Amino acid sequence: MIQLQNIFKWYNTANRPTFILKDVSLTIDEGAFLSIMGPSGSGKTTLLNIMGMLDQPSEGSYHFMGQDVFNLKEKQRKELYKQYIGFVFQAYHLLDELTVYENIETPLLYQGVKSAERKAMVGDMLDRFRIVGKKDLFPSQLSGGQQQLVGVVRALISKPKLILADEPTGNLNSTQGEEIMQLFQQLNKEEGVTIVQVTHSEKNAAFGNRIIQLLDGQVQD
Amino acid sequence: MIRNYLKIALRNLQKNKRYAFINLIGLAVGIMGCLLIGLYIWHEWSYDRFHEKADRIVRVTWEFNFGDVLNETALTGTRVGPEFNRRFPETEAFVRLLKYPRVLAVADKMFEEKNFLYADSAFFTVFSFPLLEGNPATVLDAPHKLVITQSMAKKYFGSQNPIGESITVGGDKEFVVSGIAADASDNSQIKFDFVGSFTSLNASKEEKWSEANYLTYLLLRDEEAIETLQAKITAYMQEVGKDEMQLTGNSYTTYQLEPLTKVHLYSQLDGFEPNTNVVYLYVLTAVALLILLIACVNYTNLSTAQSAGRSAEIGMRKVMGAGRREIFLQFISEAFLLVLMAVGVAVGFTILVLPWFNQLAGKEFQPDLLLSPFIFLMLLGLSVVVAFIAGTYPAVVLSGGKVSKILKSGFSFTGSTSLRKGLIVFQFVVSIFMIIATVVILQQLSFIKNKDLGYSREQVVVLPVDAQIREQYDLLKNALRQAPGVAEVGGAYEEPTHIGWGDGLSTTEGNKRITINALPADEHIVETLDLEIVAGSNFTRSDIQLADPARGGDNITYTYMLNEAAASALGWTPEEAIGKKVAKGREGIVRAVVKDFHFRSLHEPIGPLVIFMDKRLVGAMFVKLSGRDIASSLAQLEKIWEQRVNHRPFEYQFLDENYQAMYKAEQRIAGVFTAFSVVAILLACLGLFALTAFAMVRRSKEIGIRKILGASVQDILALVSKDFVQLVLIAILIAIPLSFLAVSQWLEGFTYRIEIEWWVFLAASVLSLLIAFLTICLQAIKTAYHNPVKNLRSE
Ligand SMILES: Nc1ncnc2c1ncn2[C@@H]1O[C@H](COP(=O)(O)OP(=O)(O)OP(=O)(O)O)[C@@H](O)[C@H]1O
Ligand SMILES: [Mg+2]
Repeated sequence: MIQLQNIFKWYNTANRPTFILKDVSLTIDEGAFLSIMGPSGSGKTTLLNIMGMLDQPSEGSYHFMGQDVFNLKEKQRKELYKQYIGFVFQAYHLLDELTVYENIETPLLYQGVKSAERKAMVGDMLDRFRIVGKKDLFPSQLSGGQQQLVGVVRALISKPKLILADEPTGNLNSTQGEEIMQLFQQLNKEEGVTIVQVTHSEKNAAFGNRIIQLLDGQVQD
Repeated sequence: MIRNYLKIALRNLQKNKRYAFINLIGLAVGIMGCLLIGLYIWHEWSYDRFHEKADRIVRVTWEFNFGDVLNETALTGTRVGPEFNRRFPETEAFVRLLKYPRVLAVADKMFEEKNFLYADSAFFTVFSFPLLEGNPATVLDAPHKLVITQSMAKKYFGSQNPIGESITVGGDKEFVVSGIAADASDNSQIKFDFVGSFTSLNASKEEKWSEANYLTYLLLRDEEAIETLQAKITAYMQEVGKDEMQLTGNSYTTYQLEPLTKVHLYSQLDGFEPNTNVVYLYVLTAVALLILLIACVNYTNLSTAQSAGRSAEIGMRKVMGAGRREIFLQFISEAFLLVLMAVGVAVGFTILVLPWFNQLAGKEFQPDLLLSPFIFLMLLGLSVVVAFIAGTYPAVVLSGGKVSKILKSGFSFTGSTSLRKGLIVFQFVVSIFMIIATVVILQQLSFIKNKDLGYSREQVVVLPVDAQIREQYDLLKNALRQAPGVAEVGGAYEEPTHIGWGDGLSTTEGNKRITINALPADEHIVETLDLEIVAGSNFTRSDIQLADPARGGDNITYTYMLNEAAASALGWTPEEAIGKKVAKGREGIVRAVVKDFHFRSLHEPIGPLVIFMDKRLVGAMFVKLSGRDIASSLAQLEKIWEQRVNHRPFEYQFLDENYQAMYKAEQRIAGVFTAFSVVAILLACLGLFALTAFAMVRRSKEIGIRKILGASVQDILALVSKDFVQLVLIAILIAIPLSFLAVSQWLEGFTYRIEIEWWVFLAASVLSLLIAFLTICLQAIKTAYHNPVKNLRSE
């Protein structure tokens, strides 16, 4: 599903390139549950963002579902992204001024889904994750675990094939974290959603079926 | 302490350069607008006030009704001044003025001079026009004395001393230069290059109430006496009307006194130059204040918006013991510093645009005016006011609030958001209002410019006719007619653009009498001006013979033409009027009725007019050109002129230009208005631009998230512009009725005017929305294209 080949990423600081990623090549098959680990500043987020098409490498190629991502037109890439990828963040990044319901609905708005259909889809999700009772609350009225749950639900609403999660449990206590991990595992097993997560916790990393270590911008196998 | 405040203020401005720059430019442009309008208003207001005795000088205007129409004019007969001065002890002196273009010659130099005045001997003692040479009391005390201005002295005599030299006036009279005056200042309703003694005029030998061609000024002994004097004049003129003029019924004649300092701004009656309507000054004052307010609003909005980023600083200051007062002063000094800098920049801007503004407003302001101490003090005062208006609100908001709360979550903006929104609405109300007003003013002016007046005024050259030219009038006229490119030549007492000659006309049968304007003309006036005859015919050969000056004054018989208004005022249809006998001094028949044409400004309705043939009274010749090559036609005219007229140079005007000149005041107002509505709109946009910037900063996280959730650039633009566009829509709803009322009111002043069209409002609305939207996009598009990851990183 994901093929990264010889990815380099550098920034020019003080006229000298600082390398963030150095020759990263990585293949992730559909249905995988990959955990990326590594010390702070090693480039994990950068790598994840490149996979999520939010960022571009300085060099190297990226094939997603057989398509050469960075040779696509901006518009096609955006379509690919909207159709297949969902993001979950450490800081949840819910929209503060929207209710739970509206937060979950937002990606569908941008995909041009019709109103009736949206209603049905959001309703299904609220049901399935048992948060119907919370649908009219605002993010500030939820606990961290609940907020992250909404974040995950929002990522799932457009039925992505790939979920990219950057330290999804970083702000949660261990019980809350475990619940999210179990949810990921379930999605991965039952629905075949490919999951790539960045985590600092060995325990959470173990929920996946593959772990890679990133050190100074290089993959350590 | 103050120094400390200013130091910190300066550092803060340096730290937020972009914000400071926007604020600085906004304030500077606002202040510049104020300065320019201020100069304009000050100049208009200062009119005639420089005379030391200004408070005691009054202008006498004539009000009379000899038939059924009330007439008012600034012009009076020769009797008014001396008679009032003899009769009423309240008066100390009088001055009669006649402005009369003259041809002046010294040795081989000869020019036509438009600013030639005849004035009574008290002229230089009543008015404070400084004399550089000569005794104010005696320079005009005998016939053929002449005072010339400094620049005219140079023009005619170069470096030679002109005192005692003689100048030939009007081809035959020798005047002796008795004094040199400073060039007349431009804020005076009396402007002159030459002043000849009034006693040089033949007309001065006889005192008459009628033949009103003169401006009369009286110097009172006491400014309070004006009302007593007015009452005495009214009573006295009643007697005069009864005893001397045999007026009966409703007919009366009287004179009104106007304080000199009120004439330019308040009088309806023009003297030598058009007056200004004081309402325009109020409007301009309002515009200046609004522009300044918009600039202040920008400051207020920007600093409150920007203060979000300063919560930590303020919190820390409070922790260190700063009281509310200190914080308040800190922010006010910041405002003051910025305003001071803005004033400096504004003065620079003003000097840059001054030449252009002068042209627009018809003024001659010099840049050094801005450096005078008076203006300096005014600007300093203005800075304090602006700093307080603009700085108080942010200072109050920022100095208030609990430390713990500020440190934890910054300032809460719930209250100030609605204020900021209100202020944006205000800015756009003003801008939209100005757009609409400008469009309507320009429309009305273009309507005036292109209005079919009922006579042709394009390609009509006006040439002067004086006594010497009149002697060979027909010869010259025929010569001109023969010239290539000349279609027709006709003459009349004055130009049809503004017929000032007021008169009375009576019918023989029925003995009806009406007040009427009259135009003495020659036999070709109808075809030259393309007047349309609705009944009757043009002047006939026998009419021409009956009016031939060669018959001698007493044997001349007039033939008349009426306009439609005159016919109907006399109770006739055009057809009925033909052949009827009417009299204006002498009896004659009505030969034709011409279609009404506009012989006064479009502010007034078309009144009755009588045209009668009397070539002895022709004062201007109209040469209608037909060819395309105007320049070569003019060259032909000049050649003929020079062959036949040797006492005055060839000087011409175009009828159309003279017509346009009547609307100078409106045109200037329109120019000034257009310029400042552009300024207002620019300022409002600047404010919007900056506020969008802050909105984008505040919402960068939200925008990042939305982009990650799949929002496109368009989605983001729609999102951020929605709020602002809503505000502009509200502004439109407020501005439309306001501007409708205002422009309707203004148009009321024109008897002939455009209809206000709905599309003006639509266009102004769409335009303001578009401008606002583009401004927002300009700012937002950057953020919308920004990599969302970066937005989230900075969280
Ligand atoms: N715009 C940028 N300019 C320069 N350097 C950058 C930029 N963005 C990121 N970096 C650097 O790239 C490196 C990798 O950043 P990245 O966010 O990928 O690390 P990370 O592994 O996710 O760390 P953490 O575990 O703390 O989240 C860091 O050293 C960071 O300072
Ligand atoms: Mg990271």
